[in-house]
Parts: sequence; C-alpha cells; structure tokens
Amino acid sequence: MSTPTRLTRAISVIAHVDHGKTTLSDRLLEFTGTVAPRDMVEQVLDQLDLERERGITIKAQAVRMLYKADDGQTYQINLIDTPGHVDFSYEVSRALAACDGAILVVDASQGIEAQTLANVHQALEHNLKIVPVVNKIDLPQADPELVREEIEKVIGLPAESVIFASARQGIGTKEILEAVVREVPPPTGDPAAPLRALIFDAKFDAYRGVVTYVRVLEGTLRKGVRAQMMQTGKSFEVDEVGIFRPERTPVDDLSAGEVGYLIANIRNVRDSRVGDTVTDAARPASAPLPGYRHVTPMVFAGLFPTDTEQYQQLKEALEKLQLNDAALVYEPETSAALGFGFRCGFLGLLHMEIVQERLEREFNLTLLGTAPTVEYRVRLRNGEEVPVDNPDHLPSPSEIESISEPIVLATIVVPSVYVGNMMQLSQERRGQYLNTVYEPGDRVVLTYRMPLAEIIHDYYDQLKSRSKGYASLDYELVGFEEANLVKLDVLVGGSPVDALSMIVDRTKAQQQGRRLAEKLKTLIPRQLFEVPIQAAIGGKIVARETVPAMRKDVTAKCYGGDVTRKRKLLEKQKEGKKRLKRVGNVEIPQEAFMAVLSLD
Amino acid sequence: MERIHSLYLHVPFCTWVCKYCDFNAYAVLEGLIPAYIDALAREIETAGEALPIGPLDTVFIGGGTPSLLTTEQVRRLMDRVHRIGLAPGAEITLEANPSNVTSEHVDGWLRSGVNRLSVGVQGLQPDALRFLERLHSGSDAIAALRTARAGGFSNINADLLYGVPGVKLAGWLETLEAVLAAGVQHLSAYELTVESKTRLGQEVRTGLVPMPGDDEQLAQYWAAAERLETSGYEHYEISNWSLPGFACRHNLVAWQYRPYLGCGAGAHSMFRRFDRSTERRWNIKGPQAYIKQASASGHAVAGSETLSPERALGEAAMIGVRLLDGTTAARGFPVQRTHLVEAGLLAEHDDLVRLTRRGIELANQVGAAFLV
Repeated sequence: MSTPTRLTRAISVIAHVDHGKTTLSDRLLEFTGTVAPRDMVEQVLDQLDLERERGITIKAQAVRMLYKADDGQTYQINLIDTPGHVDFSYEVSRALAACDGAILVVDASQGIEAQTLANVHQALEHNLKIVPVVNKIDLPQADPELVREEIEKVIGLPAESVIFASARQGIGTKEILEAVVREVPPPTGDPAAPLRALIFDAKFDAYRGVVTYVRVLEGTLRKGVRAQMMQTGKSFEVDEVGIFRPERTPVDDLSAGEVGYLIANIRNVRDSRVGDTVTDAARPASAPLPGYRHVTPMVFAGLFPTDTEQYQQLKEALEKLQLNDAALVYEPETSAALGFGFRCGFLGLLHMEIVQERLEREFNLTLLGTAPTVEYRVRLRNGEEVPVDNPDHLPSPSEIESISEPIVLATIVVPSVYVGNMMQLSQERRGQYLNTVYEPGDRVVLTYRMPLAEIIHDYYDQLKSRSKGYASLDYELVGFEEANLVKLDVLVGGSPVDALSMIVDRTKAQQQGRRLAEKLKTLIPRQLFEVPIQAAIGGKIVARETVPAMRKDVTAKCYGGDVTRKRKLLEKQKEGKKRLKRVGNVEIPQEAFMAVLSLD
Repeated sequence: MERIHSLYLHVPFCTWVCKYCDFNAYAVLEGLIPAYIDALAREIETAGEALPIGPLDTVFIGGGTPSLLTTEQVRRLMDRVHRIGLAPGAEITLEANPSNVTSEHVDGWLRSGVNRLSVGVQGLQPDALRFLERLHSGSDAIAALRTARAGGFSNINADLLYGVPGVKLAGWLETLEAVLAAGVQHLSAYELTVESKTRLGQEVRTGLVPMPGDDEQLAQYWAAAERLETSGYEHYEISNWSLPGFACRHNLVAWQYRPYLGCGAGAHSMFRRFDRSTERRWNIKGPQAYIKQASASGHAVAGSETLSPERALGEAAMIGVRLLDGTTAARGFPVQRTHLVEAGLLAEHDDLVRLTRRGIELANQVGAAFLV
C-alpha cells in the first residue's frame, strides 16, 4: 500500500460556490475506483444530511485515491474537498495549506466570480500549482472559450493549460487526473525529520472522540506516539492513524506528504484546532507550521427555545454541536422578552442558519433566532473598552465616549452593466469606495471598505437582486473603525422588546425606525386586541404603527359531519402558533425578529 | 359504548352542484339512485343489528338533495328506520330543494313519517340566486315554504346565505323579511363561506370574485340576529334561530356531544365509549364505491379515529360553545376559561360559559383554546 513520495500528490478542489466542485470530486472518486459504482451516491464527500440537501459543503473532507496514469505508474492522490462559502474561508485556507496543488473549477456559464478570485489568491499564497478546469461545458448557456480567455487574462494561467470538463457527464475527468500527476509537484518533506502535521479539520465521532484530519508535512506520524498540539500545548496518546478511502481505514503510519487522520481520545474539537500543528511530544519540532489563526466569530445572535421548557435541551444540544464545530461559541443570555436562551457567535450568516437548522433538526427543538449583529467595541468615558455583541447591552449614551465597529474589505465581481447599481448599493451601506478593475469578459472587480454590520443586513441579497443574480461577493475583516452609532429600541404593545433592539447609524436612525415599525406591522399577525408598535431612540418615540385587532374568525357551519375537519383545522392553526413567541400579551413570529435585516 | 338515539342518512345527489358547495354531492349521477337506496337500506339494516341503537329520537335525511328521491324511495328508507325503532315524538327531518317541494311530495313525505322539512332557500334576489347558481327563483322558494305549510308541515326550516357578493345589507334584510312572512319555525343563516376546493374558491383566489369584507359580513349577521329576535326567534346556535321549542333536536345532539350514527356515502358517525373516549368514523365518499361496498358487506367505513378522554373533552368544549345559551362542556378548562373571559370572548356563570358578542365573532379562537 505504501507509495513512494515521488508518486504522492495532495490536491484540493477550489471554486466559487455552485460551480460544481463537489460533483467533480464525485467523478474523480468514481473514475479512480475509490468508490464502487454501486456505492456511489451524489456528493459522496458531503456527510451531513444538510450538506446533501442544500448541495453545499460545510465541513472539509479528505480522501485518498489511487490512480494508474498513462505513464504506467500508480499515483496516490490525496483529495481535500473544501467548503465554498465565504463563512468558512479560514477552513479553506487551512485545507489549501495542506496541499501542493489545486484544481480550480470555473463554471462555463458563470465565469470567474468573487470567491474564484479569493480562492486563487489563497492558493497562490500557498504556492500551489493550479490545474484550471472549465466545468459545465454541456450547459446550453456555456461559453467555455470566453471563460478560458478570462482565466488567462485575469488569473494569468496559460489558456492551453485549461481543461474543458463536465463533471455531470464525466467529460474531462481523465485529463484532469493526468494534469494533476503531471503538473502538481510531489511533497518535499523529510520523513525522518521531527513530526509536523497540519490539522485542516476535525470532527467528533460519538464512539471514538475527535477524529483529527491532518496532512503530515515532515516526519512520520505513528500509532502509539504522544501527539502534541503545538498551539494549545495539550498532548494525547495516538490510538489510531489512518487514511480515507473514503471511509476511515487504519494504517501503520502517515509519512511526510500523506493525508489522513488520527484518533487520540480527544473529547472536544477545541483541543484539535484547525490550523494547529501536531508534533511528537517525545521528539518535538522546533516551530509550528505558519498561518495558525484562532477562529473568531463575526456575527452574533440570540437563540431561544420557543417553548421555555426546552432550555435545558437547547443547552445540551449546543454542547453536543460544539464538539463538532469549533467555530461555534455561545453563552447564556436572558432576554426580558424571550426568556432564557444563548448568545451565539458564528462565522457568518450561513453558518448561523446551518447551526439553527441543525439544532432544530438533529435535536428536535423549536427555536427563535434574533437578528444577527456584529461585535462593537465601546470606549467608555472612564477609559474602559467593552465589547458589545448584543444591541440591548449597549451602555447608556452618557457613559459612552465612542463606538467602533468591524470593517471589512469587500470584493464584488459583477458584469459591467451593474456597476452603477453596485456602487449605489454600497454607498447606501456606508461603503467607502476603493478601487475598480475592468477584466476581460465584461467583468468588473470593485473593492469597498464597509462596515460588516451593513453586509450582514441584507447586503448580499440586495447585491444579487440588483445584479439579476450575477454579482458575487467576498470579504475579509480588516479592523475596527469609530462610527456615529445609536441604539434603536422597539416597543410592542407598549412594552420594550429587547430582542428587537438594533444599533444603527445615527443619521439613518429615524428612517430605519419608521421602516422597522412598518415592517413589523406586516409581520405581526392580528391578535385579539389592537397592538401598537413603536420605535424609539433614547426614549423618544420616532415611529408608531398599529396592528388592528382580529375582526372575525368563525365557522358558519359545524354539524356532525364537519367536526373532525374543523378540529383538525383548528389544531393545525394551533400548531402553527407554536412558532410564535409570546411577549407579554402579544404573539410574535420568528420573522419579526429578523425584520431588522431587510429594511430597504 | 353509549346507546345511540340519532341517525343521519346522506343522499349525495344533486341536479346541479352549486359553485360554493363543498358537501359530498354529485350532479349527473342521478341514475345511481335506485342502487344507492338499496345499498343505504342495507347499511341501515346492518348497523341496526351491530350497534346499540334506538329507539331513535332524531332522524335527519340530508344531502345533497334528498328531495330528488321518489316518495317510494323515502318510504323504503323510513321502513328500515322504523325497524330500528322510533321514540314517541321523534324528530324526522328531510332536506329539500325548493324546486321539489310539490304537494304530492309533501304528502308522500308526511305519510312516510317525515315531520320536519328543511328548505334550501339560500336567497331570493335574482342576482344572488344567479351568483349562487341556484336553479329556482325567489318566488319558487317562497311558494315551496307555503306549499309545505299548506300540505301539513308545522316544523319548517329555511336555509339562507348572507354575505353574498352583490347583496347589500338592505337586500339581505328584505330576503329575511319575505322568508319570515312565509312562516317558518326555524331559520339557519350562514355566511357564504369560501371553501378552497370549490369553483367559488378558485374564482376568489384568481381575483374574479371579490368577497365582501369582514365588517360587511358581520353587519349582515348582526342585523339578521336583531331582526329575528324582534319576531321572537331564539338565537340558539351561531348560525341558527328558532321559535321556542323548535330548535333542531338532531343538530343539538352533535353540539351537545351525544352519539349519532351516519349512513350513506361520506357520512360521519360519532360514538361515545364508556371510558369517555370518542370514536369518529366516516364512510367511503364516492357514491359508486359506496354502493359497491355497502351492497356487498352492509357497511362502508373508510376511516376512523379515536380521541382519548382528554381530547374528547376538548372537542366537546370546542363544539359546545357554539350553543349560545351556554355550555358546561368547558368545565375542565379553568385556565383557558379565565384567559378567554379576560379577553372578553366568554362570559362565565358558575359551570356555564357563554360566548359574548365578540366571542361569537371570534368563535374559532375560543374553540381552539380548548384543543389540547
């Protein structure tokens, strides 16, 4: 089974979301016989139900393939499948750091998009050899030639090196594998050196504890050694090392260049952090691999059980989910309106959605999520600086010296006709224009400095709708900046609803308050009595709307034959009400708490 | 199970199925009637043997349009009913379309034991009748009421619809006046309800027909209630009024949560077990399938459900509150009662709860509160 180092390759597949990365991975697995045709299901590497359903990859995956090339040699190709969404860009970067080459997939009908560029830049930073592939050439709207030209001009890869493929139809699979063994260099690490293995993912297995995904860059990882995590300093006895084919298969050792896993009775993924370096405690390497970053959440939201009795279950569910998701953080939160819940930190909006969906689905909970917010840094008059990730916790204006908010560098790639729309949108969202680059294929790359808060408030949806779906976005955090911000409060039925508070730009606060009240009026269903909705800034009411009382709800006919139907109808309505949260006397639906996200 | 004293017989045939109707009724299947009567007679017979039923206090022959049956067919059904046994003074209702209320029919119905006639007047104004796709005229309907009375019926109900597009409050009150003048002991006034699976439902969905708003419908409802009260009619259920002593006893059985047997296509039955659980059963809906099944085996049950004593209690309260004199069925729900009283939907007198005016307008909110 052992393959000489010169015949080993480690690659990743990179692409903008939806360009067909995972389908291409499926084809590679099939073509190399790694997965027998009868075991082939779509998205082999996506193991979560949610991943298959949504057609997205959330966790990185790894698999070892054996490929007999045209030169007669059998190569060991280690493939790492990465998440495509911007929320998980750090995971992507670590996966890339574990590779020597990357297959770049570009959709023949979409061309280069924001994350294509972001991924290419990352791949180049890691010195990866790139194998460019134009995918989906079978689509009627495909224009492979144009995309090939784009790849040459924008990314600088020679047009001749571009492979045309259709992962769906299996076109080009062999050419891609040949290019990989020909173009991607073999690993260079010394198997005899002190061990340095990069962790690029970790997942929790209920029976074995944490399974740590690693690529050995130097030295050899053997069963029985004491593995030391160089960042956290913790060490664990290695019970098992193995490879993915694609299921876990134990081997004696993993030597420099190889990709696989280790199991060492680690009980929490936090002790096996993505980006950390594993070494041998008995013969440690002198320095960890570069590039480790502690993953910090970017957006925060409250999660509350709609049924207060589910609090304990939610707590246990979060604990379990966290075992498998190092990026998820949470702490208890009490809301006057919503009761006991948790303030959770996420990598981004998709991550938040996924966590909520997994909690509800896998743990059978009914949850109410509050609108996501960023973390502000508030400087107080007394000189202290406090982080605020919950608008309701903003100190009173008299105590505040200044408020700073997180700023991102946003890259928008869009066809030139929509540039005006994109600029207008970004301006409205307090964006600071930086740069425009015109690319071939009628494509423009815009860069803006923008408050992250604006991005999480519906910016992406607006970007898509104002560009007929063509614009793509990537962003990275660049720092904090002082801003003129104020807290907007909402009163429903006369009582303040803390979970509806938001922090907004002072100049837009009044307008936002009016829009929020109008929006809530459409979202809060009629109740037995009239419900006033008010928006207030610092105790001053700036907007008021009223949800009129329910007028009529009566069934005219109810005879012997109608009873079952009527009861079922009422039961169904009642079931629907479970998704409403009772705040005082008023029943408020989940959507109302998200209303602040889309006020345009 | 508890002994059953009420029987419903369903006749699923109509000359024309009006566009708002979502009952189990079929046009152009009239040719099936003889076979259907055979099957229905067989089902009554079998049920009479298998269940603790009779003597019957109430019988209700509904539809569809039972008045499409010949008097001979009605007599055959009533023969079977007699074999189960009738209590002295039993109430026996037949539903009739105004077009079929001839003196011959009236005579035949009375002879076979029917003593209450429920006439589907629905409306009197030409526009309303056209909209509702009724095949009779307003004067046909009034004539039908007079014929029934003249022929010997002393317990007559008229079914009416309000909230019909195009009919304003004044027009509705005129209709009501004319029906009262014809002399009825009982009156059911239903809001025209848009059921999604009907043609009306489709027309409303596609915007072809604008329905009157809640305020307009309630105005017509309360105006009728006031007018009927003036003439001494008691408002005893959300949509039903009667002169003293003429409340529909058959329907009271359902509202008071007592058991009944339903025979015929799509008919529902309700049985009460001694452990206070409730069983509901329903028959095969399609007439042809019903005929096939009932003729072969004597029964045609398509499905059933059993409600635990707790859920049965909630269901009883859900239905019971529709009775405007009040009900004791909500006894077991003190928390819900308090909440509904505070919200102004219920009034409480010891064990009894009664819908307030606002409670009537929001009766589904009240009913739903008792479902656990």
